[in-house]
Amino acid sequence: MKNTVLAKRYAKALFAVGKEENALEEYSRSLTELAGLSVEIPELLDGLTNPQYPQDVREKVMVYLVGVIQAPQLMVNFLNLLVLKRRANVLSDIAEVFQQMVDAENNRCQGIVVSATELGAELNEKIKATLEKLTGKQVIMQNQVDPSIIGGIVAKVGDLVLDGSIKTQLTGLKESIKGSE
Amino acid sequence: MKFLNGKKLGGVFMAAVMVCGFAALAFGSGGEGSAAGGHGEGSFPQAKVMDLLWRALNFAGLVIILVWALKKPLSNALSGRRQGIIEKFEDLESRKADAERIYKEYEAKLAGIDAEVDAIVSAAVAQGQVEKDRIIADAQRAAGDIKRQAEMAIQHEFAEARLRLRSEIAEEAVLMAESIIKQNLQATDQSRLVEDYLEKVGAIQ
Repeated sequence: MKNTVLAKRYAKALFAVGKEENALEEYSRSLTELAGLSVEIPELLDGLTNPQYPQDVREKVMVYLVGVIQAPQLMVNFLNLLVLKRRANVLSDIAEVFQQMVDAENNRCQGIVVSATELGAELNEKIKATLEKLTGKQVIMQNQVDPSIIGGIVAKVGDLVLDGSIKTQLTGLKESIKGSE
Repeated sequence: MKFLNGKKLGGVFMAAVMVCGFAALAFGSGGEGSAAGGHGEGSFPQAKVMDLLWRALNFAGLVIILVWALKKPLSNALSGRRQGIIEKFEDLESRKADAERIYKEYEAKLAGIDAEVDAIVSAAVAQGQVEKDRIIADAQRAAGDIKRQAEMAIQHEFAEARLRLRSEIAEEAVLMAESIIKQNLQATDQSRLVEDYLEKVGAIQ
């Protein structure tokens, strides 16, 4: 379950420090990598949050992790604080909120484009350009392949969702056949 | 009981006194003759005559007292008795008249009993007919209701079946379309689809 309020509080504090240190990108990278690791390896998050393990063991796990990702000292302190306060479970939420704040600061946003097959570079550029035109921000785009959409694309940028998939069109067609008298 | 009224009783009493008086005188005169005839053995002495007279007078006095004392109550009793008997006679006469009247009424009723039976039977038949009509009307109304409900149920089922059929057709149509599109969709089509969509989105924007 997401704990957005708590995550915002920590992200805001880290953002203020990062902005002051002019290290927002670096902090964002460290957080994203650590959040990605905790998602990929659930045992890692368990080692950071499970109260059955002693506090010093959990801190050691975090020390090892920050060593792996080569986080800056301030980020190390921040992550150790999270473990100390038993808030490591909101790490991925903090990373997400922090990324949004950094993106907003740099007038950019994250986008995901889902397609049935791999898209070519030219087509990706066109999509990116269209999304940037629509949002008025720089779009950092991620591509995903999902054959179940049959054809077309589904683009998600922040709250904006553009669904041009054949699957959705067929669903609309089905509903119109059902509903037509 | 007319012979018992006061005047007659007084007359009888006077007659009795006179008879006793004459009897005493006769007896007295007879006694003197006997005594004049030389005091024969069958004559009554003077003292006995006087005693008899005294007894007769005593009796007459008793009778007078009795008559005087009993005359009014006896007369009242007898008069009341007579009045009671008269009333009883009148009551019996009245009851007799009532019985005769009732007898005549029943006689008349018996005479009209057939007509009455016929009237009752006719009324029962008419009432039965009314009841029959009412039952038939109720049954017809209930049958109409059942028919309407059945028609509504049929229409509802028909609409549901049509909806299900339409849904199944839509599912099948979409599955078929999906299958055909998957089979025939080429890489160029994919690109064209994306470009068309981007154009449409850009145009809307």
